[in-house]
Amino acid sequence: MSVALYHWEPNANSGKPMLALMEKGVTFDSHYIDMLAFDQHKPEYLAINPQGTIPAMVHNGRVLVESTAIMEYVNEAFAGPALMPDNPLERWRIRWWMKFMDQWLGPSFSMIGWSVFVGPMVRKRDPAELEAAIDRIPLPERRVAWRKAISGQFGEAELAESRRRVAFGIALLEEELGKRDYVGSNAYSLADINIFNSTYSLPLSQPDLAGRDKTPNIMRWLKRVYQREAVKRTWAMGRTDLAHRYSLIMEGID
Amino acid sequence: MAVLYHGEPNGPSLSVLAVLAECGLEDQIETRAINLLAGERHTIPGITEPLARDLGVEGEGPVLVVDGEACQESVFLAQYLDEAAGAGLQPKDAYTHWQMMMWCRRITERCAPAAAFLGNRAYATPVLAAMDDPSFDAITASIASADLRQRWADTRSGAFPETAQADSQVKIADAAALVETQLGDGREWLIGPLTIADFETYGWLVGMVDLMPDAFADRPLAKAWMARMTARPSVQSALARAGTAHPERVWAPGPEINRWG
Ligand SMILES: N[C@@H](CCC(=O)N[C@@H](CS)C(=O)NCC(=O)O)C(=O)O
Repeated sequence: MSVALYHWEPNANSGKPMLALMEKGVTFDSHYIDMLAFDQHKPEYLAINPQGTIPAMVHNGRVLVESTAIMEYVNEAFAGPALMPDNPLERWRIRWWMKFMDQWLGPSFSMIGWSVFVGPMVRKRDPAELEAAIDRIPLPERRVAWRKAISGQFGEAELAESRRRVAFGIALLEEELGKRDYVGSNAYSLADINIFNSTYSLPLSQPDLAGRDKTPNIMRWLKRVYQREAVKRTWAMGRTDLAHRYSLIMEGID
Repeated sequence: MAVLYHGEPNGPSLSVLAVLAECGLEDQIETRAINLLAGERHTIPGITEPLARDLGVEGEGPVLVVDGEACQESVFLAQYLDEAAGAGLQPKDAYTHWQMMMWCRRITERCAPAAAFLGNRAYATPVLAAMDDPSFDAITASIASADLRQRWADTRSGAFPETAQADSQVKIADAAALVETQLGDGREWLIGPLTIADFETYGWLVGMVDLMPDAFADRPLAKAWMARMTARPSVQSALARAGTAHPERVWAPGPEINRWG
C-alpha cells in the first residue's frame, strides 16, 4: 500500500503529484531530491528512474513517472475527492489545458526559469565538477538544457519565442478564468493543480504580464487555490523560501 | 449534436475516425471531410469557442465541434468518444491506464512530430510550393497560432533542416522498435487489451512504412500488428472515407518538434 514520492520543491512538475496526493488525503513517504545539487542523476535515484528526471512515484513496488500522468493515476487509484468531473466535454477540456501547459506553455516557462534562475544558481560552482555532473545526465535533451543554462547560451530568438508564448498563454488563461470558476470546468480539478504549479509565481516573476490590475481573474483563482488546505500542507514541505515568498503575494490579494 | 471535421484518413484523422467506428458512434456523430492542406480547418463555420482549434498542439488534426466548441487533440477526442459510448478502449485498472497514457504521450510527443516532419516534407511541400502566393497568404491569414503559421511557411518553402530530418528518422525507427519490443511477449495489442494507444500509434505510423521501409524491415511483430489493425472493420470504415488512392500520403503541418528537452 505504500506510496513514495521523489520530488523537489513544491512547484512545476514536482508540485503536481504532491498536491494531487494531498488533495486525495493519501499519506506518502517524501524523498526530497535537490535538483540544484543534481540528486536526480545520482545512482540511488537512477535506480528508481533511469531517466534521471523528477518527479517519480513508487506505489506497491511499481514506478510511475511523468507528472500529469501520475496525477491521473493518483486520482483513479485512490479514494478521496474526485479531481476529474464526470462530464465528457469538461474532461476533454481539462485534458486539453494540461497538454497545452505541459507541451506548449510550460516549456517556455522552463526555458525562461532556467535562464534566469537555475543557470545563475549553479554557475558559481567549480566548472570541472559541473562538467562531470552534466556527463552523468542520462537524457541527451536534458544534457543540452543544462549546458545552455550553465553557460547562459540560450539563443535570443528562442528566448523571445518563449516570452511571446508566456504573454500569449497568460492572456488565454485570464480569458478562460473569466468564463469559469476553475480551469476547464466549475469545479477544482487536475487542470487547476497542473496550471497552479506553473503560474503561482507569475505576479512576482512576470509583473508586467500578471497581477491584480492586469489579470484579475487569474489572481482571484490563484488566491482561491492557494487557500486550499492541501496547498498549505504541500508548500510546508518546501525547503527553500520559495513558497514563503509567494505566500506573501497571496496575502496581498483580496 | 456534435460534428467531426476530419482530413483524409491518415495520422490523427485516421485514428479518430477509426475510434469513432470502434465506439459504434458513426450514426450518432456527423462527419464532414475537409481538405486540411487547403486550410479548411481554420474556417469551419459556427464555432463560438475556437481556442483549442486555434492553439492545438497537434496542428492540423481533426476537430470535433460540440455545442459550438472546437475540440482537438486526437488522443483526447478518442477518450471523449470512448467515454461517451462506454466502449472500453481505456483500461479500467489505474496502472494499466497510466501505461496507456504514457504510451500515447510517447507517440504524440516524439513519434508524431517526426512523422509529420517527414510526411510533410515528402508530400505537402510540393502541393504548397505549387500554390500561388495569394492563395497561400489567404490560408496563413486564417491561422491564429503564430508557431503553426510558421510551420506552414516552412513546409511551403521546404525548410527542413538536415539535423531535424536525421533526428526524425531516428524517432520513427525508435517507434517501430518500441512497438516490436512491446509485442515481444506475444500480445495482440500494445497495452494488452485493444486500446486508444493502438489507434493513435497506427494512425501516425502507417504512412511511415513507405517512407522509411528500413525502419520496419526487421520488425515482423510490428508489421503483423499493423496488418491486424488494418483488418479491423473500424479501420476499414475509416479508410473507406478516403477521397484519394493513397490517404497515407496526405499530410498537413503537424505538431512541432520539442523546443525544450
Ligand atoms: N514531463 C516530465 C518532465 C520531468 C522533468 O524534466 N523534470 C525536471 C524538473 S521540473 C527535471 O527532472 N529536471 C532535472 C534535470 O534536468 O536534470 C514530467 O512532467 O514529469
